[in-house]
Amino acid sequence: MRVLVVEDEKKTASFVRKALQAENFAVDVMANGEDALLAAAGTPFDAIVLDIMLPGRDGLSVLRQLRERKNSTPVLLLSARGEVNERVEGLNAGADDYLPKPFELAELVARVRALTRRGSENKSIGLRVADLTLDTVTHKARRGGAEIELTAREYRLLEFLMRSAGRLCGRMMILEKVWDYNFDPGTNLVDVYVRRLREKIDANFEPKLLHTVRGSGYVLKETP
Amino acid sequence: MKIRTRLTWWYAGILILSLLVMGIGTYREIDEQLRHEHRREPTEHAIDETSEMVLQVGLPAVILGLLGGWWLTRRALAPVTKLTDAVEKIQEKNLGEKIPRTNNGDELDRLTEVFNAMTARLDDSFHRIREFTLHASHELKTPLTVLCGETETALLDESLSPAERERLFSQLDEVRRLSKIVDGLTLLAKADAGQIVLNLETVRLDELVRDNFADAQILAEPHGIKVELEACEEVSVRGDRHRLRQLLLNLADNAVKYNHPQGRVTMSLRRAGNLTRFTIANTGAGIPPEVLPRVFDRFFRGDPAHSNSVDGCGLGLSIAKWIVSAHDGEIRIASVQGNETTVTVELPLASGD
Repeated sequence: MRVLVVEDEKKTASFVRKALQAENFAVDVMANGEDALLAAAGTPFDAIVLDIMLPGRDGLSVLRQLRERKNSTPVLLLSARGEVNERVEGLNAGADDYLPKPFELAELVARVRALTRRGSENKSIGLRVADLTLDTVTHKARRGGAEIELTAREYRLLEFLMRSAGRLCGRMMILEKVWDYNFDPGTNLVDVYVRRLREKIDANFEPKLLHTVRGSGYVLKETP
Repeated sequence: MKIRTRLTWWYAGILILSLLVMGIGTYREIDEQLRHEHRREPTEHAIDETSEMVLQVGLPAVILGLLGGWWLTRRALAPVTKLTDAVEKIQEKNLGEKIPRTNNGDELDRLTEVFNAMTARLDDSFHRIREFTLHASHELKTPLTVLCGETETALLDESLSPAERERLFSQLDEVRRLSKIVDGLTLLAKADAGQIVLNLETVRLDELVRDNFADAQILAEPHGIKVELEACEEVSVRGDRHRLRQLLLNLADNAVKYNHPQGRVTMSLRRAGNLTRFTIANTGAGIPPEVLPRVFDRFFRGDPAHSNSVDGCGLGLSIAKWIVSAHDGEIRIASVQGNETTVTVELPLASGD
């Protein structure tokens, strides 16, 4: 998997590169829009991390140019402006995801991973992790032969975690997908819900499936 | 007492005094004349004639003078009344607006001019403060991103001792708290500068309240707090769905945070004429009356002891207030100390609802 990072702030570019490399991505870094367009024209990337504020040609313009050239590489936009409508503008311009600065590195890595997996997502109606199963039609969860009662929100949370099984799910990502919040509401809602869900799916069973990645988020997987 | 009334009283006093002077003068004149004609008992005649004169000429003159005075002061003070009305309309938001001048060069026109210059200076400083906050919060974002990223990168190192790891996590927590504060500040600075565009649509508020009720129950559960939804009438408002959800969650979060264990949170949504009224009440220590008006201030914490035990960025209620006023609504807070705190939000109903 090869990722292009377009970021002019050297330190940010450097740790984003390191973090992605640690996850076994090959990373190219460009510091301005023109170089990014050249690189994207020559190399087939699996994802592009694109900062909006760049010297010269800005990120949104790079994105529009890319889409005009029929380049459909998934793009994650980064922005320090945090304009409320910038997110909408970015998605309209053809971005696949948007992350406001300051972001958490784990969150960024999780999103890049999700982008590169797009299309190969688990779309089946029956989801399974170890002996935990979830039927996406009847919304019924079962583990060890016992049926588990879920509220609507718990179901959505579990479905999201199971569809991304084995991958880290950042708090912001969960808030976006499960609650449809596109801002951090500043509560520990996610943590409280995860704790409840854990009570239901993990408390009386082994092995434990729902793990906390300290400071970053949660992951649902068989092995710790 | 109004200036006009006061001036008229004074004027009346002066007129009566002059009437008295006139009466005494007339009396002496007539008395002198009668003595000259060697008539008897001149005094009584003089009094009669004087009072006749005072009543027939002086009194009507005094009354006319008073009415004239009343009219004159009214006319003279009319521009002041107008100026007062104009000044009354000036708020923090419309400091840039000028009070119309008469341009006739009189004292009041000059006062208007000076006043306009003063509000212009105020507007300028408000503007600078807003710009400063906006720029400051933008400028803080890049270093915060770097700080957060580098700490997280450092944590990737497997060879760290548990103590080192703990220190880095604690540092990361603080960076995150700082990020939240900067986020909140940016939002408010943008709101102040009028840079936030609400995404308006017709929103079923009762659905948002029900959703929020479910989330509040979950938030409250670990503290043994009971959440009740007393009423939830079907209402639609014109608003920004995301912002309204932010508002409700914000209030619910506060109601849980500032509660006591095994406490209670009660919500209700009702129609009230052409408004919809949402209330959320929580048991708890309450807020002392003297700080109540300040709870919507930025970074204000009623109880300094609370600032450490309760997390949050200290901007929640300021943001709530902004969201409500951006929707042309009103937010109020009332508290019975040691017992209960109630927040009331009133929003105009969507047309057709």
